[in-house]
Amino acid sequence: MAELERGGWTAAQTRAQFGAIAWLRWRIMCNGYRRKGGVGEMVGMVLLSVLFLGMVLAFVVGAGFAAYFFVAKGHLAWITWLLWGIFLLCQLLNIQLGQPTTTFDPTQLIRFPLKVETYVGIRLFFGLLTPANVAGTLTSLSVAVGIGVAAPRLWVYALIAMAVFAATNVLFSRMIFAWVDRWLSTRRAREVFTAIIFMGSLGIQWANFTFNPAYNHNHRTHAYAVSQQRFGFVGPLIARAQPWLKPLPPELASSSLTKANQASVVGFAGYTVAASLWAGLFLLVFALRMRTEFRGENLSDGASVVARKTTKALRVSGGTAVAPVSVAAVGTTAAAANEFAVAGGARVWAVIEAVLNKEILYVRRNTGILYGLVMPIFLVLIFAGKFATRSSTGSIWVFPVAVAYTLLAICPLSYNSLGMETTGAQFYFMAPVRMRDILLAKNLLGSAMAGVEIVLIFVIVSYMAGVPSLQTAVAAIFWAVGTLAVNMIFGNQRSITSPKKMDLQKAMRRQASQVSGLIAMAVLMVSSGVAAGIFFLCFWLHALWALVPIFAVFAAVGVGFYLQSLKTIDRFALDHREELLLELCKAA
Amino acid sequence: MAPAIAAHALTRSFDGFTAVDHIDLAVEPGQFFGFLGPNGAGKSTTIKMLTGLLAPTSGSIQILGQDLFYNPVEVKRLIGVVPEGMALFGKLTAREYLLFVGRMYGLEKVTAEARSTELLEFMGLADQGKKLIADYSHGMGKKLALAAAVIHGPKVLFLDEPFEGVDAIAANTLKTMLQSMIARGATIFLTSHVLEIVERLCSHIAIINRGHIVANESLDELRAGVQARLTPGAEGDPQARITLEQIFLNVVGGEAGETAHPEQELTWLS
Repeated sequence: MAELERGGWTAAQTRAQFGAIAWLRWRIMCNGYRRKGGVGEMVGMVLLSVLFLGMVLAFVVGAGFAAYFFVAKGHLAWITWLLWGIFLLCQLLNIQLGQPTTTFDPTQLIRFPLKVETYVGIRLFFGLLTPANVAGTLTSLSVAVGIGVAAPRLWVYALIAMAVFAATNVLFSRMIFAWVDRWLSTRRAREVFTAIIFMGSLGIQWANFTFNPAYNHNHRTHAYAVSQQRFGFVGPLIARAQPWLKPLPPELASSSLTKANQASVVGFAGYTVAASLWAGLFLLVFALRMRTEFRGENLSDGASVVARKTTKALRVSGGTAVAPVSVAAVGTTAAAANEFAVAGGARVWAVIEAVLNKEILYVRRNTGILYGLVMPIFLVLIFAGKFATRSSTGSIWVFPVAVAYTLLAICPLSYNSLGMETTGAQFYFMAPVRMRDILLAKNLLGSAMAGVEIVLIFVIVSYMAGVPSLQTAVAAIFWAVGTLAVNMIFGNQRSITSPKKMDLQKAMRRQASQVSGLIAMAVLMVSSGVAAGIFFLCFWLHALWALVPIFAVFAAVGVGFYLQSLKTIDRFALDHREELLLELCKAA
Repeated sequence: MAPAIAAHALTRSFDGFTAVDHIDLAVEPGQFFGFLGPNGAGKSTTIKMLTGLLAPTSGSIQILGQDLFYNPVEVKRLIGVVPEGMALFGKLTAREYLLFVGRMYGLEKVTAEARSTELLEFMGLADQGKKLIADYSHGMGKKLALAAAVIHGPKVLFLDEPFEGVDAIAANTLKTMLQSMIARGATIFLTSHVLEIVERLCSHIAIINRGHIVANESLDELRAGVQARLTPGAEGDPQARITLEQIFLNVVGGEAGETAHPEQELTWLS
């Protein structure tokens, strides 16, 4: 304390704080990979990062070429659409990939001796490094390069305009996400927001399949004509909205380039300053939010509970608290044993029923899982008709392909069965139940959901593409049963050895082990590949009758192995309970 | 009559570090047993082993004469536990959670429902309606965890810091409830850092330090022993009655030689 009083806060100390936070984030990430299974997680992360990097690079290079093409062909104004695309992509990626607070809660930093400016700076600086912001900034710079190559006299202007545009983009996302955190501070708001995002995502998928020429080879198809009729208003609508879009950053950046192209330096400067003002405004709104956060607001659901007056359950008489009711439940005489009215085999079913009830409540309250269940049905609804009309044999494959696609959503669920229980998983080791029954109940729910999905898909495919042949349908169902069973064998083991604590408070965060996700995908792909081979072989040999017995055997073998795996799962769970509970009971 | 809890040569090692080292425990039926120790002494590790949450490296555990390793399901029917992490299910409401726990312990649905209602009233959680457990405060979570631990009428109750974060009124109610359980023949194994509570509730105390049991007696015997050491000849003098805190400091401090010297201080603190 004496040192603190000796002098004021120095810039070196502020730099040290930035360094300390960078180090903290680095250590948290490294330590995350040190635990058991961490190497696998790292491999998964590297693989996904490479995949993501490839996609980003393709987009960055594509944007650069597009900018070059527009300028070279004399359509500089078209850059506007490119900039709107970058802007939207940046925001969508930020939603999909999450914000940089996944490693620790940055609001905890307010307990340290930080100045408000430093706090704002820290929150801003560490938010710049999200994959989405990096991708957006690189794409903007790529556009500048494209313009500079096509019109070398514009390269300085392009660089300045794109740098300002990138700044507005990044600051906008930082501002929005800071406020989103505020708006989503309650569970209900998070659920509504997640639902909106998912609905938006479904809408985009629908629009993509409906309007993308890649899915509409024949432009004169009825569907396309209907679409043209229904959505013909979009073009004029955009034209009418154009004047309102003019003052926004993508339009301003584009206009500044147009002015530069017309050799109007003043015009360029005016539009660039206007775009910079947007950046300043976003920064200001972001800083205001951070200042409130810095002052220590409490936004949790629990905070609002404190304010609510609750009915007193305890009667206080003469200064002594008295329980309002006698709790017969805690009578612990020998008679208590008789109250376990459910015994033997019925007891197993009672456990399964209890877990099933609980799981149904969890699924009902988890927007993410519900979305995962609705998504395949929705996409099959879009796809089925289109693919069935591609060829005369199309309808044969639609149902099996749709079933395989559905399993893509269902199978990963069994790979982190205990993730949502968090500390509740301890209960399964404290209660007189067997892990076999717990996992069986969870798997039964997964199978039931798959069953409902397959029935719905059958109805959709039958309506959109014609009723599948009995052989194909039965064979596909047998394949699904076998594949589900195999996946559940792996899934149950991974649920115990590599669980991932799922944070119920964070709707937009990654919620499963990457390695488990890859294993689920691999099992499904191998199974689908082999099944497709068998389908083609039988089709080629004109022996479709053989499909049903082949896949019936596969299903029987799969279920057999699954039941066998359940026999040893109790011992397996006991042997791995420490790593399981360590992960699920760890502090957030 | 078999002890309610019996542990023999119980040991648990983690990567070469022995957290609990060959401890023996025998808790008689009907005892309110306090299990104390400084941070990192091995309390939670022991309670986790006694309740089946952690496998011992060696040693045996019997609950009411049944071996925990060979009859885990039977043993777990007899016990109730409030573990360190409370073992709650965040996406359920309190009522749903208690119903679930009741069913998992094999109670009939009607019984589980009736007891859930009664327990929620008793714990002052009945008015929380549709609120999810994830939105509960820490103290409310503790009360719910305790409710869940007793819903099946356990004969042996393990409580790991049950009063942490619970308000004074609720804590008083809970203490009354626990004492009534003892009166009806239950056994309670309690760990807490609040020594006043342990002193008020427990008849027997064991103290663990660095993985070893350093004291295991009735509170009166423990008090008499320490008092004799501190003030020889004052054993029967009620005026000189020492507190559990003094006993604890004497036993643990004396054992570990860790009592801070008055001259030892942090020089930079004003």
